[in-house]
Amino acid sequence: MIFKLAWRNIWRNKRRSVVVMTSVAVGVIATLLMDTLSRGMIYQMLYNQIGSHVAHLQIHRQGFRDNPIIQNNIPDAAVVERAVSSTPGISHYSSRILTYGLLSSAAASSGVFLIGIDPDQEGQITTIKGSLAAGTYLSGGPNEAVIGQSLAEKLGVGLGDRVVGMASALDGHVGSDVFRIVGLYETLSSEFDKSFIYIARDNAQEMLGVGDLVSEFAIRINDISQLHTIQDRLLEELGEEYEVFTYPEILPFLVLQIDLYEQSMIIFYAIIGIALIFGIINTMLMSVFERIREFGVLKAVGMKDRRLLMMIVLEAFLLGIIGTGIGFIVGYLIYLPLARTGLDLSMFSESLRSWGVGAIIYPVLTWNVIANALLIIPIFAVLGALYPAFRAGRLQPMAAIRYV
Amino acid sequence: MNPTDTTEHEEIIRTEDLGKIYEENGIPVHALRGVTTIVHKGDFLVIAGPSGSGKTTLLNLIGALDRPSRGKVFFEGRDLSKKSKSELASIRLHRLGFIFQAYNLIPVLTALENVEFTMMLLGVSEAERRKQAMATLQELGIDELVHKRPNEMSGGQQQRVAIARAIVTRPAVVLADEPTANLDSTTGASLLDLMERMNKDKNITFVFSSHDPQVIQRGRRLILLHDGTIKSEQSRTR
Ligand SMILES: Nc1ncnc2c1ncn2[C@@H]1O[C@H](COP(=O)(O)OP(=O)(O)O)[C@@H](O)[C@H]1O
Ligand SMILES: [Mg+2]
Repeated sequence: MIFKLAWRNIWRNKRRSVVVMTSVAVGVIATLLMDTLSRGMIYQMLYNQIGSHVAHLQIHRQGFRDNPIIQNNIPDAAVVERAVSSTPGISHYSSRILTYGLLSSAAASSGVFLIGIDPDQEGQITTIKGSLAAGTYLSGGPNEAVIGQSLAEKLGVGLGDRVVGMASALDGHVGSDVFRIVGLYETLSSEFDKSFIYIARDNAQEMLGVGDLVSEFAIRINDISQLHTIQDRLLEELGEEYEVFTYPEILPFLVLQIDLYEQSMIIFYAIIGIALIFGIINTMLMSVFERIREFGVLKAVGMKDRRLLMMIVLEAFLLGIIGTGIGFIVGYLIYLPLARTGLDLSMFSESLRSWGVGAIIYPVLTWNVIANALLIIPIFAVLGALYPAFRAGRLQPMAAIRYV
Repeated sequence: MNPTDTTEHEEIIRTEDLGKIYEENGIPVHALRGVTTIVHKGDFLVIAGPSGSGKTTLLNLIGALDRPSRGKVFFEGRDLSKKSKSELASIRLHRLGFIFQAYNLIPVLTALENVEFTMMLLGVSEAERRKQAMATLQELGIDELVHKRPNEMSGGQQQRVAIARAIVTRPAVVLADEPTANLDSTTGASLLDLMERMNKDKNITFVFSSHDPQVIQRGRRLILLHDGTIKSEQSRTR
């Protein structure tokens, strides 16, 4: 019956209640879109990095990550291949040789990561093959290179032009070779495009004088929740000579950014909540003052203060929860098509690209977002009702009845 | 039992030297200056007196709605000054019924729900309270109002529903502060008939405050207040 009372009470002043519920709804819509879009942006940064190069797991010789020199190569590729193929849950892998070097055209030169790949293997774990803006992917033929469009511009070269790659070889001499640019790729990160160049693995091995040695195995798995299980399993299989890293370990900055983001979102919700609290306090105070006489009668017939307080808090909670419900539904209806088509921010695409984000942002709705949106606002509504409810509770029944 | 023979009757409320001083803008207002009296079971008692004489104040004190500045109220032998706020609420809920001059009912509830409300506070089950509320409304001849809300009722109808609400919990005493003040005299008279019937048939104790001659005339006991003191007290037999 208290619920019935509270429910009917909120519809006594329809306009006022609708205004409050609308502002709650707008707050929820705003937070929902803001949260899903910025989450989408950060996840996109992460997925781009995973997709374009990092993959889910990487295996190296122990110490390679701290000192990625050509001497720190995989001790026995066959051992790693066996371990990888006997571990369940791995979808694809690519073995790479990779070193820091210099790429020069007639006009300029630039420090780059030279990555020697098996074109087919690499095509199955990263998106480079799909990111070609011009030309073709590595065909397996000799002395082909695929470089980033931004790097090509920097070096003043184009498709079919020749460039010279140089890097320190295994024996300490400088190895070098001439490559023909067969493809230009463009990922969502301009930084990446300026520094990663792809050549055939055997080309690179020859240039660096490493025989058939490789530097790393990059691995994609089927189910992200198995990440640590697979890592442990590989570590156990491979032993002390190897290191196995997961993408959060390889990209600590991005992962930290996600954590920071979660925390900053709580602050954002709190700000919206506090703005709404004042609306609720104001509304509930008005509605309490209008009903002082009625509260006097309720108290006179024996309603306890606590129950009266509960009723008023329940009224505010109902306002909050209805507003939240409406806001959530509307927000979700806006989210759905956005999640499919993405939000096109191409007008800002240059600055987004330097952050490693695409021009189209796909919002991401997680349980976290849903919980935040559905819980935080009603909680603030209840907080906002406490003071008016407390005021009503403290009224003397007799003074209240006399009040006109 | 002869309900008019008050002296031999069980005492419900006793006041001892009751005083109440309000403060208005820092100036003390002596609303009651030492009132000693007794309400007996079965009384149909009218507290009369001119406006400002302290009728409402006295009713509020014996109804556990307010605390006296001096003196004591004993309700069924219990000293109310020793009770906490929530104990007083509980006494009001279990033992008292109230009818005010106006705005008695909860506007968002129907007549039936208004009558059920106090039983809900008492924790009576939904089926039981519906049954009792219906029975009481029928008894008062207002069952056609069951699903009406207060704003769809006349003043007299609202007061009848208020009577139903006051008596449905079988209180020891019903306190009515100027219940007819907002009604025309015919409506007022029929309301008094109703309460008189409840008093006679069900031995429900009523205490009124009023300066309405019609009410004063019906009282079987009369306390005349003047300036916060009892000017005269009389019982009459009819
Ligand atoms: N809450 C209050 N604050 C200040 N003065 C009050 C208050 N209630 C009553 N009074 C004063 O006390 C006196 C008695 O009031 P009341 O008991 O309402 O009289 P009645 O009901 O007989 O008209 C009046 O002078 C009134 O102004
Ligand atoms: Mg009065």
